[in-house]
Amino acid sequence: MELQALAGCLSSVSCTVMQVSTGLIIGMLLFLVASGLSLIFGVLGVINFAHGSFYMIGAYFAFSAYQLTDSFTLAILSGALGVGIFGMVFERLFMSKVYGRDVLMQLLVCYAFILILDDMVKILYGAEYKLMGMPQAFALPPIQVGGGFIPSYYVFMIGISAVIGLVLWLGIAKTRFGKVVRAAAINPTMVGALGINTTLLYAFVFGIGSLLAGTAGALAAPIRTLTPGMGLSILIESFIVTVIGGMGSIVGAFIAALLIGLTRAFGSMGFPLFVDGMMFAMMALVLIVKPSGLLGRPVH
Amino acid sequence: MTGRGFLRDLAIAVALLVVLLVLPTVVPHPAMRDFVIYVIAYGLLAMSLNLLVGFTGLVSFGHAAYFASGAYIFGLLMQSGKFGIPLAMLIAIGGTALLALVIGAICVRLKEIYFAFLTLAFQMFIHSIILTWVSLTGGDQGLMGGIPRPPFLGIDLNNGMSLYVFCSVVFVVCMVIMRQVVQSPFGYTLRMIRDNPHRANFLGVNVVRMKLAIFVIAGTMASVGGIVMALFVSGAYPEFGFWTTSGEAIFMIMLGGTQLFIGPFIGAILLQTLNHYVTIYTEHHGLVLGIVILVFVLGLRRGLADFVYLWFQDRKTKQIEKEAGR
Amino acid sequence: MASKNSGVTRRKILKGAASAAAVGAFATTITGFPHIAGAQAKVIRIGMPTILSGRVAILGTSSRAAVQLAVQEFNAAGGVNGRTVELIDRDSKGRPDEAAKVTRDLINNDGCEIIIDGEASSGSFAVHEVIRDLSVLCLHTCSESSTLTADPKLHVKTAFRSARQGIHDAVAGGKYASAISKAKGLKKWMTCSPDYAYGRDNTAEFIEYAKVFDPNIEVVDQVWPKLFQPDYTENITKILQVRPQAMYSALWGGDLVAFIEQSNLYSLFNNITFFSGGLGDPPVLTAIKNLPAGLNTVYRYNRFFPNKPGNQAFAEGYNKIANQEPTNWSWQNRLACHFIFEALKRTNGKTDGAALAAEVKGMELDSPFAVESKITMRADDHTIIGYPAAWGVTTSKFPYVQDFTAPAWSEILQLESEWKKRKGYA
Repeated sequence: MELQALAGCLSSVSCTVMQVSTGLIIGMLLFLVASGLSLIFGVLGVINFAHGSFYMIGAYFAFSAYQLTDSFTLAILSGALGVGIFGMVFERLFMSKVYGRDVLMQLLVCYAFILILDDMVKILYGAEYKLMGMPQAFALPPIQVGGGFIPSYYVFMIGISAVIGLVLWLGIAKTRFGKVVRAAAINPTMVGALGINTTLLYAFVFGIGSLLAGTAGALAAPIRTLTPGMGLSILIESFIVTVIGGMGSIVGAFIAALLIGLTRAFGSMGFPLFVDGMMFAMMALVLIVKPSGLLGRPVH
Repeated sequence: MTGRGFLRDLAIAVALLVVLLVLPTVVPHPAMRDFVIYVIAYGLLAMSLNLLVGFTGLVSFGHAAYFASGAYIFGLLMQSGKFGIPLAMLIAIGGTALLALVIGAICVRLKEIYFAFLTLAFQMFIHSIILTWVSLTGGDQGLMGGIPRPPFLGIDLNNGMSLYVFCSVVFVVCMVIMRQVVQSPFGYTLRMIRDNPHRANFLGVNVVRMKLAIFVIAGTMASVGGIVMALFVSGAYPEFGFWTTSGEAIFMIMLGGTQLFIGPFIGAILLQTLNHYVTIYTEHHGLVLGIVILVFVLGLRRGLADFVYLWFQDRKTKQIEKEAGR
Repeated sequence: MASKNSGVTRRKILKGAASAAAVGAFATTITGFPHIAGAQAKVIRIGMPTILSGRVAILGTSSRAAVQLAVQEFNAAGGVNGRTVELIDRDSKGRPDEAAKVTRDLINNDGCEIIIDGEASSGSFAVHEVIRDLSVLCLHTCSESSTLTADPKLHVKTAFRSARQGIHDAVAGGKYASAISKAKGLKKWMTCSPDYAYGRDNTAEFIEYAKVFDPNIEVVDQVWPKLFQPDYTENITKILQVRPQAMYSALWGGDLVAFIEQSNLYSLFNNITFFSGGLGDPPVLTAIKNLPAGLNTVYRYNRFFPNKPGNQAFAEGYNKIANQEPTNWSWQNRLACHFIFEALKRTNGKTDGAALAAEVKGMELDSPFAVESKITMRADDHTIIGYPAAWGVTTSKFPYVQDFTAPAWSEILQLESEWKKRKGYA
C-alpha cells in the first residue's frame, strides 16, 4: 500500500487532473463497449459473450479503411457501421436461433464466434502486431489543464464517447422508439401484439449494441495494438462493468465504467498491486449485496 | 430396486474398467494411453460439472478453479517431498472441498445467471492469485521441475502402464461415486430443485443446503481430474484455472449431452478426438472448432448422446404407436 | 414390467454402443497414422510444439518459418547419409498441458525423433518434463527463463536451450546502462514491466546488474501493468508524476507497441532515458508508427548485426518465406537447426537421443549469429553462449536500431558464475 502517495496526489491539482483524465480515458472507452453489452442484455435477455470480438473487428475494419482511404473519419465510420451490420446479421442468422433456450447454448454460439473471428483475423491480417497510426490532425502536443497534461486525441475520444452515450440515453429515455425498446424489454409479447415487428426491433437493438463495440474498437485502433485475441481483456472488463452497473442499465454502465476507470487511475497510485483484485472484489461484492447491480432491475 | 440398480451400475463399472485395462493390449501404443488419461482428466471435469449443470440446473462458469486447486495442492505437496501419493491426493481433495464449501456458501444463494457470474468472478480471482503468488505457485511458469512420483504400496507411477492403470481405477471409482450420488434420493431431490425449486421448497427441502452439498461434491470430483492431469503432465499450470478451461468443460457437456449420466464423458472423448485431429491437419483449429460448435448448437440442438438417446426414444414411441394402431 | 425391462436393455445397448463408438474413436485415433520405427525410416522427423494461435501467435509463426527454411536448405544439400528431414509442427494454443500432450504425441505417434520446443514460459517447462520422460533430443528455442537450464534440479540430459538467457541479458544490459547513467548522471530510475514471472525476474536482474556497475542508481518507483493490458495510461501518468531520469521496461511484443505509442501522446520520452528489454525485435519496431529515436534497446534481431554475409543471407531467405524480417525467435530456431543438423552429420544420421545429445553437448558452431568467434552449447548447463548479448539505439530508418555495443563474453561469464554460486546452482 502506498496510501501516502495517493494522498500526496490528491492534494496536488496537476496530479488530480492527470489521474481523473486517466480515469476518463480508460472509463469512457469501456463505457462504449459495456453499454452495448448492457443494451443487448436489457432488451434481448442474452449475454453477447462475443462482444469483445466485435470490438476487435471494429478495430480491424477501421485499420483497413484507414489504409485504403487515409481518412480517419471513414475509418471510425466503417468500424462502427461495419460491426453494426455484422451484429445484425449475427443476430438474425445465429443468436436468434437460441433465444429462450439454455444460457449455455447462447454461450456456446458466442464462444464459437470468438474462435472463428480470432482465426479469421489471423488468416486475413496475419499474426503480427498492427497499429492504425495516429491521424495527422492529432499530432499536437498534449493540452495543459491546471498543470496536468491531456493528449488531444484523448480529449477527442472522451468527447465523442460522451456524445454517443448521451445520444443513446436520450434515444432510449425520450423518443418514441426508446419507449418501444423499453417496453420490449419488459413485455415483448405485448409489444408484438401492438403490431410492432419485434424481430426487426431485436435485430436493430443488437445492431446498435454491436455498433457501440465497433466504435470503441475503431477509436482504440490508433493507440492500442491490434492482434488476434485482443478482444479478451476488454470483454472481461466490460463484463465486470455491466455486472456492477446492472445488466440492462445504460446509466449504470456509465457509472460503473467511470468507477472502474477511476479505481485504476488512483489505484495505480495508492494500491498498484491490488488494482485487478479490487475490480474482481467489487464485482463479487455487488453480486452478493445486490445481484442485479447498482442500477439494474431484478430479473424475475 | 436401488440395490439392483447399484449392482447393475457396479457391473457396468467393472465392465468399463475391463475395457480400459484391455485397451492398451488391443492397441499397444503409448500414445493411446496418453489419450485415455487426457480424456479421463477432462472427463472428470466435465462429468462433475454436469452434476451442477445437468442434474441441479446450476450453471457454473467457474468450475475449472477446482480442477486447478486439485492439481496445485497435489503438486505442491508432492514437491515438498513429505507426502506419499495417496495422502497428498486425499489432502488435495479435502482442501478443494473446503475451498468449494467457502465459495459455494456465497454463490449458491444467488439465482441463475448471477450464480454463473459469481462463480466466474471467483475463478478469475483464484487465477489471479495463482499468477501473482509467484513464490508459491511459480506464477505463469507453473510448478516447475516435475512432480515426483515416489512408489507406494509397490506401485510405481513412473512406469507408463502403472500410471495408466492407476488413473483408470481412480476414474472408475469416481464414476461409481458420482453415479451413486445421482441415483440416490439426494440426487432425485436435486432434479426436483432443477425442475421446480419452489415446489422443492414447499416440500420442506432446504434448497440452499442441497445446492451447497452438490457444489462441494462436484468441486471435489473436479479436483480428482486436476490431480490426474498433474500426475500426467508432471506439473500444474495457471491455465488449468483459466476461464477457457471452464469453457471447454461446458463445451464437452454440450457436445455429449446433459441428460444421460455418461453424456459429458462422451463429450470429452469427442472433443479430445476432434482436437487431436484438427491440430494435426490445420492450425486454424479455432475456425473448425467454431463451426463444429455451431453445427451442434444450431443443427443437432443438443449433445450427441442426447440426440441419439432421443432418437431411440422417438423410434420406440413410434413403434408402440404403430403396434397400437395395428 | 416388460416395458420397464426393455427400457433397461435399451439403455444398456445405448451404453454399449457409446462405449463401442468410443473404443472405435480411440483405435482410429491411434492407428490412423502409421508409426514409423526409428532408425529404419528414411525421413528423420523433427517435431515442433509451438504457439500458432492467440495473442503471441507470431512467436510460433516466426519460429516455424525459420525451421522450414533451414530444413529446405538441409534437404536441398542432400540431407545426411541419404536421409532427409521433415518438420511436423503442432499448435499448443499456448496451453502447457496441451504442449505436453502434443509433444508426447509427436514422439510416440508421429515418430518424431527430435523435438524443437517452440513454447514460451510455462509450456517449455511442460515440454522439458516430457523430454525427461522420453529422452529424445530437444532444443528449447523460445524460453529465456534462466531457471530452465541453470537450476541443476531441472537438468534433463537430452534437453538444451538454443535461446538467449535472462541472466546474460541482465549482465549485458546492466553494463550498457551503467555506462550511460554514469556519463549523463542518471540516478533516479523507474521500471515499468509486465506483472508476471518473466517480467519481474527480468527487471530485478537488470536493475541488480545496473547497480553493480553504477552504485549511484536508485530505483524510486516501479509500476507493474498486467500482461496483455491494452491500455497503459494509468502507468504513464504515474511515471509522469514520479519524473524519473531513466526507466527500464521488460514489456515486449504487442504490449510494448501500445506502451510506446501511448507514451508518445504524453511526450514521455522527451525527458526520460528509456531502456527496453524487448524493443529490438523487428515486428515490434515496424508496428510502431512513431518510433522515437534514441531509445536504448536490447538486441533481439538485426540483419546487420553481427555484420556477416551469413546473417544477411538468412534475413533474405527468411523474407522470401515469411515476407517480413526475422524475429528474435527466428534466429534462435535457425541456430537450433544448425546444432541439430551438425549433430546428425556427426552421428551419421543416428537419431538416438543420448547419441545426439552427446554431440550437441559442448558443440561449437561457426554461426552467422556469433558475436565473437563461435556460439557454444555449454556442456555443463546446456545453454548457448557467444550469441549477441548486445544493446543498441533506435533510429527512424530501417532497420531501426544501430550502434550495437556488446560486452565481452568473458565478462558476462564471470558475473554469471558468481550469480550461479549465489543462487546455489553451482
